[in-house]
Amino acid sequence: MEELLVRKAPLPWWAAGLLLGMAQVLAVGLKEPLGVSTQFVVADTQLLQKTHPQYVNQHPLIKSASYRQPGYGWWFDIGLIAGAFVAAALSGRWRLRVSTLWWQANRGPAVGKRLLTAFVGGVLILLGARFAHGCTSGQFASGWAQLSLSAVPFTLTLFLFGMVTARLVYPKAPGIEK
Amino acid sequence: MPVDYLALTTGAVFGSALFLGGLAEPDKIVGALRLKDFHALRTIAVFVLVGMLGTFLLSQAGAAHLSVKPTTLVTVLLGGALLGIGFGLTGYCPGTGLACAAAGRFDALVSVLGMFCGALAYILMYPAVAAPLEKIGDYGKKTLPEVTNSSSAVWVAGFVILGTLILALTARPKKGGLSADDAPGA
Repeated sequence: MEELLVRKAPLPWWAAGLLLGMAQVLAVGLKEPLGVSTQFVVADTQLLQKTHPQYVNQHPLIKSASYRQPGYGWWFDIGLIAGAFVAAALSGRWRLRVSTLWWQANRGPAVGKRLLTAFVGGVLILLGARFAHGCTSGQFASGWAQLSLSAVPFTLTLFLFGMVTARLVYPKAPGIEK
Repeated sequence: MPVDYLALTTGAVFGSALFLGGLAEPDKIVGALRLKDFHALRTIAVFVLVGMLGTFLLSQAGAAHLSVKPTTLVTVLLGGALLGIGFGLTGYCPGTGLACAAAGRFDALVSVLGMFCGALAYILMYPAVAAPLEKIGDYGKKTLPEVTNSSSAVWVAGFVILGTLILALTARPKKGGLSADDAPGA
């Protein structure tokens, strides 16, 4: 097996943080702070409106227009997908992959369990994000940017559970390019 | 449904920044949570500080569009824990999951599929589970300056100065020398 080495990011940390911070300032100046996860509920609501309109009409959350009618946040997420695609392609880093280096270093080359873990993780990620009224963008990054009280308890459990889970799942580190 | 070009633009800026900055990169995220790779942690710190300073300046100019979330303590703690477990398992979150899927990662696409299911689970359990839990320990849409009866300027200055100092003091020298990044096993 070839050596597993995590590549450097395209940008150094300070430039990366500056660019992301400027995206936040742009978003706050133009419309609303960065946020991603609400649109997953909006997408599901679009489907439910077709299959179970009665259920949507009487649901205390998704009966509201902000979930029924895709708006700014919807197009923001589509822009996010397009922006990431273009950035990956132009930086020569677009590549079809099914697993990660940390996964391979700890769990080997088989991909079945990686995909199962990815799916289960995805369910927990969105469920958690909605319980918390926001994800790593809307609640963590935008929460701190606005000095929101809710960012404090959110950050606490996010990183505590994130670090413990990563410790259990990925005890061994692959090589990391400096 | 009319296309919102403003939203597409801000989204594209954020999506490309997530990718170029190395946050839409599960190996960088897991490395950060394992405290073996400090790139993502430092990036996130700068991201938050620049966002905080910029948001403060825009607010002073009366040009900020804010959206403070309610501190419903039980659901925020629970949500952070669930999201944290998913984050630690996969190295993805909602934004970076979408970005990684767009960058060719099939496992991220599977995670995104899981996210649509997680959103459906939330819709289904909202009336019986989430709504009642939101009523316990609901402190409303509050900010740190509000609950401490102090000015935003003090908080922003404190975080930005302290954060910049920590980032500068722990920065890895360009050539030679030892630092946290060079710790054995890193």
